[in-house]
Amino acid sequence: MHDFEINFEKINNKKITLKEKEFRNKNLKLFNSLGFPNKRLENWKFTDLKEIIYRNFDQLDVKVAVPNINKINLLKDFDHNYIFLVNGNLHTSNFNHEEKSKIKINSYDNDFNYPTSTNSLICLNHAFAENGYSLEIEKNYKFKKALIIYNFFTKEVKNKILNIKNKIKINENSEIHFVEYTINESKFINNVYEHIVLEKNSKLKSLYIQSNKNEGYFYKFLQNKLHYNSDYLGLIFSSGLKFNKMDIECDLIEKNCKCNILSALFLDKNEHQEIKTRINHLAPNCKSFQNVKKVLCSKSKGVYQGKIYVKDNAQKTDAYQQSKALLLSENAEFDSKPELEIYADDVKCSHGSTSGSVDEDSLYYLMTRGLNRDDAIKLLVKGFLEDVVEFVKSSSIKKFVNSKLEDRINEH
Amino acid sequence: MLEIKNLQVSINNKQIIKGLNLTIKPGELHAVMGPNGSGKSTLANVLSGKNGYEISGELNFNGKSLKKIPTEKRAQRGIFLAFQYPLEIPGVNTNNFLKTSLNSIRKAKGEKEIDSLSFLKLVKEKTSELGIDEKILSRQLNVGFSGGEKKKNEILQMKILDPNLSILDETDSGLDIDALRIIAKGVNSSRNKKKSFLVITHYQRLLDYIKPDFVHVLSDGKIVKTGCSELAEEVEKTGYKKLN
Repeated sequence: MHDFEINFEKINNKKITLKEKEFRNKNLKLFNSLGFPNKRLENWKFTDLKEIIYRNFDQLDVKVAVPNINKINLLKDFDHNYIFLVNGNLHTSNFNHEEKSKIKINSYDNDFNYPTSTNSLICLNHAFAENGYSLEIEKNYKFKKALIIYNFFTKEVKNKILNIKNKIKINENSEIHFVEYTINESKFINNVYEHIVLEKNSKLKSLYIQSNKNEGYFYKFLQNKLHYNSDYLGLIFSSGLKFNKMDIECDLIEKNCKCNILSALFLDKNEHQEIKTRINHLAPNCKSFQNVKKVLCSKSKGVYQGKIYVKDNAQKTDAYQQSKALLLSENAEFDSKPELEIYADDVKCSHGSTSGSVDEDSLYYLMTRGLNRDDAIKLLVKGFLEDVVEFVKSSSIKKFVNSKLEDRINEH
Repeated sequence: MLEIKNLQVSINNKQIIKGLNLTIKPGELHAVMGPNGSGKSTLANVLSGKNGYEISGELNFNGKSLKKIPTEKRAQRGIFLAFQYPLEIPGVNTNNFLKTSLNSIRKAKGEKEIDSLSFLKLVKEKTSELGIDEKILSRQLNVGFSGGEKKKNEILQMKILDPNLSILDETDSGLDIDALRIIAKGVNSSRNKKKSFLVITHYQRLLDYIKPDFVHVLSDGKIVKTGCSELAEEVEKTGYKKLN
């Protein structure tokens, strides 16, 4: 594929309001002038997405059929509520463990009031997004069981580029724990814009994991807004995706917020996974913590770009970020770019980044106990990722995450 | 059991062991004493199969040459090294590690893998025998362990893996008297006609609790004197210099 420009007919054919048409056309025009991001952009310093897409796709279409799915397979590893998405479209939901009146779940209702973005993938999303879901939890409600968001993609999405918008709102004093579980069998691009709002005293634990190795190229822009004393935890796990970039922006807009982003990834072959964060401390007394760990094999590439921004009035900020990479191959690559931008004077901010290969002395120690080299490496790899897995408090979900991680490690 | 003939070992072109001879028969406990830099730890490392050494001479275990046998195979055949400085392995649960380790040794011997329940029973038995707090086993391997806990953990591993030849590399250094007694107890209760020990130490102190059959003095890469336990006392009184 040598050029990617989308015909305006794709939008103008549809029966839509003038406002929507203008919004979509404006964003498409922006995308067409910007194109897919490449390394010239600071936010894509280590990743030439344009080149990756042109190399791997001969054609890309934005129109996606949503097929009929009659039977869905659910995980049996732990009791859960679920939302089942097919190609990004809300298929079914089930909240049998909860008080249903407290939960609103709908297909995403597009609104067209987004400000103009310089991120071409967001422009593309604005131009074409139709699918997605919107989830709202009423005030004072704590989920009894976890929610699994089954993100199922069919073979119909092959060579397509999906644009999906999701919105999650947790109202005052409410709590939810969700697992976004991707099941994919197609080679396609998934371009997601997700908006999460945490109201006063609310709590969200989110966990991202894939069911299997697959040819998906995923980009997710995650915009989180945290209000007074709210608590956000994002856990990003391996990861069978060929390409994945999680672009997370957290605005800590009121006092006493907590924001934790952690990741444990095991990458093999030529997988490429990137985590980019921007934590905006905009109010006093908030805490943010980031810990990104990647194990990189063969020709895989891991990137972490983490920025902590502290506004002048955000005194008593406590912010920390670290990234660690364990390289199991000479051809693997890890790029890390930590950034601190601080305008307040009474804050605690720090960062650290390390990368290295497996410690030979540790290997020797384990081998003197009868473990062969491969098993000893596996043990060290699991140990390396363990402090992130520890954040999964539920023992059944932890077991599930561990088994997925072990699958990845054993496939290597 | 172990037969070493004219062993020469170099690392980075520097010769450390310069023609060492040592034979350990089943049931024997040999102590190797020697000053700093005499090659004691190198000997332990070479026996366990650590990479990076240039080795010549004969190194036989149960009649077969060890030279081309990798570390884990040596462990599977029954050689155990208690480390002078046990490594901290973050994220690896001590119990899980011990079970994996025991099972890889059992598997290599053609034995069935141990199930969790029997393993737990075995661990309970060995910890109480040594007077070790079982709690350390639910922690990450050696992470945050005190010096004494690390050494005790080495002896516990020895008890659980039940090797034929146990090499203790300065296990006594840095221990208080109570911990030293636990270590000695661990060794003494394992001694029988089939099990052999090579105990490397600086001081005679450990040998007050573990009675060696032979004591060797290692100096500048060679065994310069061999005797029975009285030799250790002599070394303690006169120092190593006089023996050279």
